Amino acid sequence: MKGRLVIVAAALGSLAVAGCSSSGNNSSSSASAGSGSTSSASTKACTTSIGFEGPITGPVASLGDEQLHFAELAVSMDNAANHTKISLVQGDTQLQPAQAVTVTQQFTSNAGIVGVVGPAGSQEVEAVGSLMARAGMAFISGSATAVALTSGSYSTFFRVVSKDSVQGPQDANYIINNLHPKALMIVDDQEAYSTGLVSAMLPIFQAAGIKVDHESVSQKVTDFSSLVAKITPAESVVVLPWQIAANAQQFGRDIAQEHKSAVIFGTDGLFDPGTFTINGSYVSSFGPDITAIPADASIAQAAQAKYGSFGTFGPPVFAATHVIDEAIASVCKAGQTPSRSNVLAAIKQTNESTSILGQPISFDSHGDLVNGKFFLFKINSTGKYQLIPS
Amino acid sequence: MAFFFQELVNGVTTGALYALIALGFSMVYGVLKLLNFAHGDLYMVGAYIGFFVIQFFGGAAHVSIPVPLLLVIMFVLAAGLVGGLGVAIERFAYRPLRNAPRIAPLITAIGISFFLENSALLLFGAQYRIYNTSEFISFSSGIRIGSVSIDSVQIMVLVLGAALMIGLRMLVNRTKLGKQMRAVAGDREAAEMLGINVNFIIAATFFLGSALAGVAGVMAGLLFNQVTNTIGFIAGLKAFTAAVVGGIGSLPGAMLGGLLIGIAESFVTGYISSTFTNLIVFGLLIAVMLVRPSGLLGRVQLQKV
Repeated sequence: MKGRLVIVAAALGSLAVAGCSSSGNNSSSSASAGSGSTSSASTKACTTSIGFEGPITGPVASLGDEQLHFAELAVSMDNAANHTKISLVQGDTQLQPAQAVTVTQQFTSNAGIVGVVGPAGSQEVEAVGSLMARAGMAFISGSATAVALTSGSYSTFFRVVSKDSVQGPQDANYIINNLHPKALMIVDDQEAYSTGLVSAMLPIFQAAGIKVDHESVSQKVTDFSSLVAKITPAESVVVLPWQIAANAQQFGRDIAQEHKSAVIFGTDGLFDPGTFTINGSYVSSFGPDITAIPADASIAQAAQAKYGSFGTFGPPVFAATHVIDEAIASVCKAGQTPSRSNVLAAIKQTNESTSILGQPISFDSHGDLVNGKFFLFKINSTGKYQLIPS
Repeated sequence: MAFFFQELVNGVTTGALYALIALGFSMVYGVLKLLNFAHGDLYMVGAYIGFFVIQFFGGAAHVSIPVPLLLVIMFVLAAGLVGGLGVAIERFAYRPLRNAPRIAPLITAIGISFFLENSALLLFGAQYRIYNTSEFISFSSGIRIGSVSIDSVQIMVLVLGAALMIGLRMLVNRTKLGKQMRAVAGDREAAEMLGINVNFIIAATFFLGSALAGVAGVMAGLLFNQVTNTIGFIAGLKAFTAAVVGGIGSLPGAMLGGLLIGIAESFVTGYISSTFTNLIVFGLLIAVMLVRPSGLLGRVQLQKV
């Protein structure tokens, strides 16, 4: 009996130690790559951890994988440039708010984590915002664009992408002024990201006198034939504020199969040149195509060599990770030990004159990117995305 | 009227897929009284096999063999390999629990579902694999009557689905194997006493049911163009619902349930709104269950007391 008690006590002890030291897979970065980082801190003991929250598995794991790869790349390059020893603790949210809460609880109870990159989805930010704020943990999303996130409820939240109140009206006005539909169909995918964008677009379409058929399908649906059959000849545009490019591709194929002529207009969640290639479709994006930005050539090449092709979900996460890395480096440079409070304070002071996204990064008092914008692309007959000049 | 027929074609096509998966679900329940929640994941494996066959023969844009031959290989390989996988699952995960409390194999089935889903994630990655069916089967090779379009993939799914359902029904009703299956489903112990090799019959049932799921997976890949490791969950859920509505354990019931769900989804989306599809369809199904708790074609289980 005594022996059993000793074993149980030892097991509990080891679990407690494991729980305190880590809450996920640690991917320590190797200082191998260089980058154009600005600061060079005297960071002899600048060792700390940041968390990564993203959908590493689940239905949008392809996006989460890309985000994780770019977070790892940023940490690796920044460690090399700043002589820091920042490690990345992975947390898989599966784009599920409940899972994001679990991961966040693990991160906030791990005293070694001083900031978090992510989560990816607006609905996840809504779920974890209060927890992060209570823990004083800064978290920066590279893809959450819902307007309400920066209404002041989540004091430690930042994002390096523009919000839907920029994207929704920008896209809606482009459709009205350039595609001139008399009627259109708009289909949300029943997630906060999608319904938020629809809410931002609908009043603009209605004010322009466009007849709108508002539909709704789950992200898990892959058969759109019945919905496509419903598109009337007058509905010359179908707006898809979705996050799964393969679904939009299938929607486009169903349009062709049923001999309809509607043009698809996708939002940033569909920016995936490897998957969504329907000729004549439009896609907006919170990030530019970094392969077309000369200053990003080294990062794009490093990412391509290490992880293969990528879309627009990775680079903003690189930018978000870089902001936290630089904040940590600046804290160390000031002779302090990185903590949640001083890293948060440093992030608030972020003022990057340029970034991987081709635009400066600084935050307003609500955590929003200052002067953020969206980019619009048209897909040609070879499936290539061509930037439409603004 | 054209719109009605377009929605009917779309609904019947989707319903045929649900029916094929539901058949396997119902067969396994019939002989083992087991809700095999891993069944949807076998469908996912079948879809992956179809995708990799296309890649093996040069990819969708450059298929190196005649397309009919490619399709035959896709279906035969998916049926054979997924059928074999089903037998292996039965042998190593369910058979040891055959006499355990019923909750044990149920939990095991959920475990197998996660195992298959995550194995696919590890083996094939998280990205969507795209069939690109239109690269080797043209939309224009279908039928167009007025504004109603039925493409060749839909025709193939309907014809093959109907053939498989008829074939399975004949196998169960007119062959010795089918008779033995019915005997095991009726009373396993009595069947064993009569000299029937129960283990073989259960394995054969798993093979057939899983093979149908594999074929349905290839059909889904050809129809919907995409495969990822999570597609089995929703398909399994719909098939389970179809099997229950039709009367779980009843093969005609599974077919009827699958077709009804597919058609109901299509008409609700077309005539009302996609926003309310699940709400209305599942509301109707609840109503059906309230009126006929054993399902549309299910038999009331009498219990001697």
